[in-house]
Amino acid sequence: MNVKNEVLYRVYFIFFLAVIPAALALIYKTAYINYVEGEYWRKKGKDTFVEKRSIEADRGDILAANGSLLATSIPFFDIYFDPNSTGMSEEDFNKNIDSLAYLITLYVDNTYTPGAYKDFLIQKRKDNARYVLIKKRATLSEKRFIEKFPLFRLGQMRGGFIAQQSSERVRPFGVLAQRTVGYIREGAKPVGLEAIYDQVLGGRPGVQEMFCVDKAKDIWLPLNSLTAVEPRRGDDLKTTLDINIQDVAQEALLRAVNYHNADWGTAIVMEVKTGAVKAMANLGRTEKGWWETFNHAVGTAIEPGSTFKLATIMAMLEDGYFDLNDTVSIENGRTRFYEEIMEDSSPYSARLDSITVKRAFEISSNVGLAKLAVQAYGQNNRKNKNQGAAQFISRLKEFNLHLSTGIEITGEAEPYIKEAYSAQHEWSGTTLPWMAIGYELRLTPLQILTFFNAVANGGELVKPYLVSEIQRDGKPLQTFKPVVVKRQIASKATISKAKELLEAVVERGTAEKLRHPDSLYRFAGKTGTAQIGYRKVNNKTLIKGYQASFVGYFPADNPMYSCIVVINNPRANGFYGSDVAGPVFREIADYCYVMAYQIHTAFNAQPPAPLPARQLPNNQNGYAPDMTYLLRELRLPYYGQANTDWGVLRVRSDSLVWENRQMAANVVPNVVGMGLRDALFLMENRGLKASVVGYGKVVRQSIKPGTRARGQTVQLYLD
Amino acid sequence: MSLLNRINAELKGDRVIWAVVALLSIISVLVVYSSTGRLAWTERNGNTEAYLFKHTLILAFGLALTYLAYLTHFRKYAKAAPYLLVIAVPLLLFTIMFGTEINDAKRWLEIPFIGLSFQTSDFAKIALVVYVAREITRHQDYIKNFKEAFLPIIVPVLLVCLLIAPANLSTAVLLLGVCMCMMFIGRVSVKYIFLLLGLGIVAFALLIFIGEYFPDYVRVGTWASRVKDFVENPQGSFQVQQAKIAIANGEWFGVGPGNSIQRNFLPSPHADFVYAVICEEYGFLGGAFVVILFVLLFHRVTRLVTKGSKTFGAMMAMGLALLIVMQAFANIAVSVHLVPVTGLSLPIISMGGTSVIFSCIAFGMILSVSKHVEATGE
Repeated sequence: MNVKNEVLYRVYFIFFLAVIPAALALIYKTAYINYVEGEYWRKKGKDTFVEKRSIEADRGDILAANGSLLATSIPFFDIYFDPNSTGMSEEDFNKNIDSLAYLITLYVDNTYTPGAYKDFLIQKRKDNARYVLIKKRATLSEKRFIEKFPLFRLGQMRGGFIAQQSSERVRPFGVLAQRTVGYIREGAKPVGLEAIYDQVLGGRPGVQEMFCVDKAKDIWLPLNSLTAVEPRRGDDLKTTLDINIQDVAQEALLRAVNYHNADWGTAIVMEVKTGAVKAMANLGRTEKGWWETFNHAVGTAIEPGSTFKLATIMAMLEDGYFDLNDTVSIENGRTRFYEEIMEDSSPYSARLDSITVKRAFEISSNVGLAKLAVQAYGQNNRKNKNQGAAQFISRLKEFNLHLSTGIEITGEAEPYIKEAYSAQHEWSGTTLPWMAIGYELRLTPLQILTFFNAVANGGELVKPYLVSEIQRDGKPLQTFKPVVVKRQIASKATISKAKELLEAVVERGTAEKLRHPDSLYRFAGKTGTAQIGYRKVNNKTLIKGYQASFVGYFPADNPMYSCIVVINNPRANGFYGSDVAGPVFREIADYCYVMAYQIHTAFNAQPPAPLPARQLPNNQNGYAPDMTYLLRELRLPYYGQANTDWGVLRVRSDSLVWENRQMAANVVPNVVGMGLRDALFLMENRGLKASVVGYGKVVRQSIKPGTRARGQTVQLYLD
Repeated sequence: MSLLNRINAELKGDRVIWAVVALLSIISVLVVYSSTGRLAWTERNGNTEAYLFKHTLILAFGLALTYLAYLTHFRKYAKAAPYLLVIAVPLLLFTIMFGTEINDAKRWLEIPFIGLSFQTSDFAKIALVVYVAREITRHQDYIKNFKEAFLPIIVPVLLVCLLIAPANLSTAVLLLGVCMCMMFIGRVSVKYIFLLLGLGIVAFALLIFIGEYFPDYVRVGTWASRVKDFVENPQGSFQVQQAKIAIANGEWFGVGPGNSIQRNFLPSPHADFVYAVICEEYGFLGGAFVVILFVLLFHRVTRLVTKGSKTFGAMMAMGLALLIVMQAFANIAVSVHLVPVTGLSLPIISMGGTSVIFSCIAFGMILSVSKHVEATGE
């Protein structure tokens, strides 16, 4: 074999046994990835690394009636640095890393020295890290500040700046109406307006193609793409809640539940004419103090007790059984229905036997009301159309007491009213007398209030509501009008008698001590002191506790707001509705009355009384347009006419006289009687300097008026 | 037809190799234009043409050099070889000491005043291959002699490889492999070739040992993590997975020029993973075509050897072809996950100044040989 052939064989050896197999291996592997594993990789490409991801839209705000923010979303950012971002050049990195490390240690994280931070970032770059946490939960302004740092300002691709936005729901008023505003939280049942209006508030999420940089940490970066759909911010809800009334209600309630060591309490304030809920406070006991743990106002149906007597008496008045001045025997506050003994809790009752129906209601006599109800509906008669108790139940239904209010909050408890003589509802002989005084049935505080509100509103039953408007950028998209559920729940005569009764409760009944001593305004209402958790053992009733309530409206003559306060299981300092719930009602009512400017007469509605000379502003010196404006606004009569820029008011006997004054240029002006603003204006316009002593109006000046102005310093004495 | 005639007259030598050069250049421009989109957006404010023009310009310059190298008689390379090597060794040394670090590797020298960087190993590769070809032919008659023939060959080989290895191990290994193949073809005793391999391994061990103490100079950490990635992660690292997704996306005919999605996720779609982009845009057929182009190149150079056998020209052409083809295959093998990630570019196709230019020069030198082989039938 010659040399040439040997070389040739070796070349062929390489060609056929190295190059060709290598090429085949490459082609084979390409085909293998393409076809054998193809499905898998294509799917992985689509699913894992590029994804159309939704971008959460900013959530709309929830506003109080005056526009205060009850709930809003605040964006915050987790800021990362990608030291190996695709567009980052060695040059950019090296040029900026010193100043970047310096700024980060100066403003963001001072636990490092600039040198250490720099080394840290360089190490991360060496380690091929794709994101280094710079700051968690940065606010928008912090993010805007940090993104201007050197290197970062080159952007995401080139500068490695990554800001991942999320947002946090905040309630600027904290616990105020917290449960009513509600929340949507992971792992918890959504509640309140946030839950009901989730669709409206949530907006429409955007869609953006993103790719994943790290699956484990679920970090996605947006891909430049024209198919991105911008998210649409949610709409805002304007509620009927009045933040001030809410605050007062909550405060008063908090003091009461604390003072009486109760389990929970709730207070609702409603606008009589419209049903707009102005406040809804709920406080429950937690380990960390009082908190809005549950919306008892809407979600808890309880035996109302005495406050229900209004419905009982209205039913009987409607059926024409008696007049308010007819008498009823209350048997000294103790009687028996079948085997059950009924007692009055009112201390008056022990000394009374035969009293008027009105008085029985005023002192909240259980015996009186129960006996009247049994007389009326205990057996069939003409007035109850031979229906017996069924007529009573159908009256209650006319008052809509068997229906929930339909307020815009999830979890409203259904009312429970027994059907007459229904075995399923365990109707017994004692059911009617006990229903008459508010037991063997269940209503939520809001349902009771809605009924009382209808009475206050002259019989017109309106639906309670919380949301008045859906807004976008401050402009209304949808406005919710008050809804009248029933034009007239009872005859005008009955309604006016009911009002008379409720007013009497406050004037001389169980709530007498709540009455305003100075008759600032009158209010009407009914106390309730219901037994809770009672059970009957050996003909004795064991009671776990009481539930104190007060429900009513104010002012009595022209009702503006209705309000209910319920305090469950007070353990200290009394348990009567008038002692526990009543004062809370009074406090809320007082505040609402004072704040309701519509019902007060304006101070300047009448012409002002003439002022004595000593009260008139003598020697008031100043700028004429300002002075005359004030005189006009205060309706102070004066003589003379302002013809110059400056003037003085003088008092002549009992009237004001306007004196015009010329302020010559180049001389020291007379500024006595002026405020400092006018005085300085005049002085400095004439090139004078003023040095000032004291507060108030100018009473003395160190250089006489009329002296030639040459830039002197004038000492002004104010008092 | 005058232009074609003109080209015909001008471009002698193996037409097939010319065609390979032309096709690779066309593919290069297409793929680089497509895959630099993201780079353009991040670095040049979306001026996608900036990279296209820059690359086309470099390629045009490279092709001009191809032509120049083709015009130069190959014997001149033999004469120049020792001098080139004498220049290359200090340059490499200089790079290790003062080179610019790009992507954590010191492979580049800034050329003063014009602001371009220059990858010295690209130059050294060609210098070494020419030198080895020259030595093999020079000592052909007593090629099995250890002292007379083998030593003069392997000393520079080991030296150059050792100088390249710290910053660019894959190039060093490639170069060692190319030299071993050349020696095998040049009838150096297989015994000695294995000795060289052994020496290479010893040198590598030494390098790792040094790397423990001078991690800034020797990238032991990077090598280890890449090899570890390859061994431990059957699906490949994030980068390799992106490449596989790209290849799979391409199916038979590809998604079409400029439609690659994966170029956005591949770490350097215009260089290291350019094959994946080709597969995605032009499909399996496109990828296979590129592989076949390189096989074709090697085949044509094999023909030169059959015609010109033991001459220096044939040996040099063989060495350069080995260099180009092995580098190309190594690059592709990374994309299809047959070997760990390396930093080798795909000759001519990948964007990158020095790499393109020296690949072009290598083609020119091969063509120069083919011209003379065809002319003389030698």
